[in-house]
Amino acid sequence: MSVYKVNRNNDTEKIIEIVKTNPSFEKMKVLLGRLMGEFCYFVIPHADPISSIVHEANIPECRECHISESPSICKSEMMAAVLRASEKRVLQQFICNQGQKGIVHPIVQGDRIYGYLVVCSVKEDVPADLFDIFTAFTSTILEAAQKELELKKLYETIRPRAIALSTVHTLHRLISSTLDLSELLPRVARLTLQVMRANRCSIKLVDSKKKTLLPKATVDLRAKIAKLKKVEIGKWAPGKAVKYGRPIRGESYLATPLIDEDTIGVITVYDRTDSKPFTNFDEEIMKTLCEQAVIAIKNAQLYKEQERLTVGSIKSIAAILETKAPGTYLPKASFLKLVRLVGVELRLSEYELKCLEYASLLHDAGQIAVPDKVTKKRGTLTGKEYDLIKEHPKTAAAILKPLKSLKNIVPIILHHHENFDGTGYPMRLKGNDIPLGARIMGVVGAFEAMITRKPYRKPLAIVAALDEIRKNAGKQFDPLVVHAFLNVVKRKDILKMLRKEIYGHRKAGV
Amino acid sequence: MDIEKLVCKSPLHRSIVRFFHENQSSLDTPRGIATWVRGDYTHVKHALTELAKAGVLEAHEASSTIGYSYTRDPKIIKRVETLLNK
Repeated sequence: MSVYKVNRNNDTEKIIEIVKTNPSFEKMKVLLGRLMGEFCYFVIPHADPISSIVHEANIPECRECHISESPSICKSEMMAAVLRASEKRVLQQFICNQGQKGIVHPIVQGDRIYGYLVVCSVKEDVPADLFDIFTAFTSTILEAAQKELELKKLYETIRPRAIALSTVHTLHRLISSTLDLSELLPRVARLTLQVMRANRCSIKLVDSKKKTLLPKATVDLRAKIAKLKKVEIGKWAPGKAVKYGRPIRGESYLATPLIDEDTIGVITVYDRTDSKPFTNFDEEIMKTLCEQAVIAIKNAQLYKEQERLTVGSIKSIAAILETKAPGTYLPKASFLKLVRLVGVELRLSEYELKCLEYASLLHDAGQIAVPDKVTKKRGTLTGKEYDLIKEHPKTAAAILKPLKSLKNIVPIILHHHENFDGTGYPMRLKGNDIPLGARIMGVVGAFEAMITRKPYRKPLAIVAALDEIRKNAGKQFDPLVVHAFLNVVKRKDILKMLRKEIYGHRKAGV
Repeated sequence: MDIEKLVCKSPLHRSIVRFFHENQSSLDTPRGIATWVRGDYTHVKHALTELAKAGVLEAHEASSTIGYSYTRDPKIIKRVETLLNK
């Protein structure tokens, strides 16, 4: 017996499967049974060429065929009806070799045949209009089956894309949440590895002066220590990706340039975990990922640049103040360190610590407006002179106000002479209304003033100054800040630093 | 809790693990994952924390959200596959 290859459209199989399992179809079968008597019923999927169906071994046999001595002849009558139905696309009747009446109903939609519904051993006296109802019923089921298939296809097509889109969105959220390059780049590398299911990821940024790519972050899942290598632009996959401004792909690597207005770097992934080669789809994902990464990297670089400008501005102001009267307007290094350590003790964020640090540098900048004869006076200040001194926080705030990048440090400077009980200046703020940074500077500033030699008085010993701070907790100072401050000052390294800076080589009075 | 018990702890745990096993490149927030597995957000969030703790998932924390992705450990992936096929 010759073997025929049956070519069936994938959709045909699916539609027929949906039709066969449709509950309405089952109900129709019961209805037909009542109207047509005990019958044999089956569905044959369409195939191209139609003649190939005839030779299929798995076409079922009706009970009459089954007992027949020549079932293949019986089938041939039915298959002739199938052929006619495929040509005419309407219901065909046949009488099999056993004398049984049968019908073949093509399952048609538009110009397409999906299959044939074969009913064998039907009653002789079946009314003709029953076949019309039968046709209409089948068409309805077929339409439902087609819709179901379309929905399935839509789901299968859209879902992976929606998942990929959601992945890119999450990636964007995760990498945009930091402006610190040293944190951002390793995070991008780790997330890239995760999304690409690769074993190694390396991020290199362009050093335009030297025309090289500098390694900034490398994550290698197979090695404990990742090697960081410089690459010349134009060489190797990363260098070529940057030179040509397009992804460079090999079986085990994929280098994608980070392009903003110009190329700022490259992300390269190596060795997929499933050992398969990188594909076009991987390339598309990497392109999208790099678009997100380049925005985050640019933002972080801009933020860093702005921070440099801010620090530069502060240093410029500090340098100008220093030239006017060295040692008068700028705090000592010990003061800056103590303020920061108290901030750390109070669990301030890195950003808050930076603001505190900048505010500490310039907190007495306003004294520039106080006449020298007042700041250098040896005796007690008069009421008017003291009023002039009390103006210095406001003056400093007014000097710094035009610098928008310093807007968060202005309140710290403005209120660093407020007292916790509301007896300070310039606005007599009370308790938590005083910014925390100002409360910290209040404690550290008072301590430093007490242990420093002034033209009009001798310095206090460190122990005596600490006692004074302790006594004024809840009055002049915030008790919480005092507690944190005492914790910092009792550290041996801090005491050593204070002795060295304040008393030089002399022994501190501790 | 060991991985086998955790994956079989509830249909939701199983759905989450199945989602990541079938979409191994996926990285998503608890809200996104709740959409994919058609689960209640709070329950999904809790299950994700448990699965990440057990090493089936990896948590990527940022200031505004947490992203979850599938483990990269081939041994765990193999164990999960066996469990899902049971």
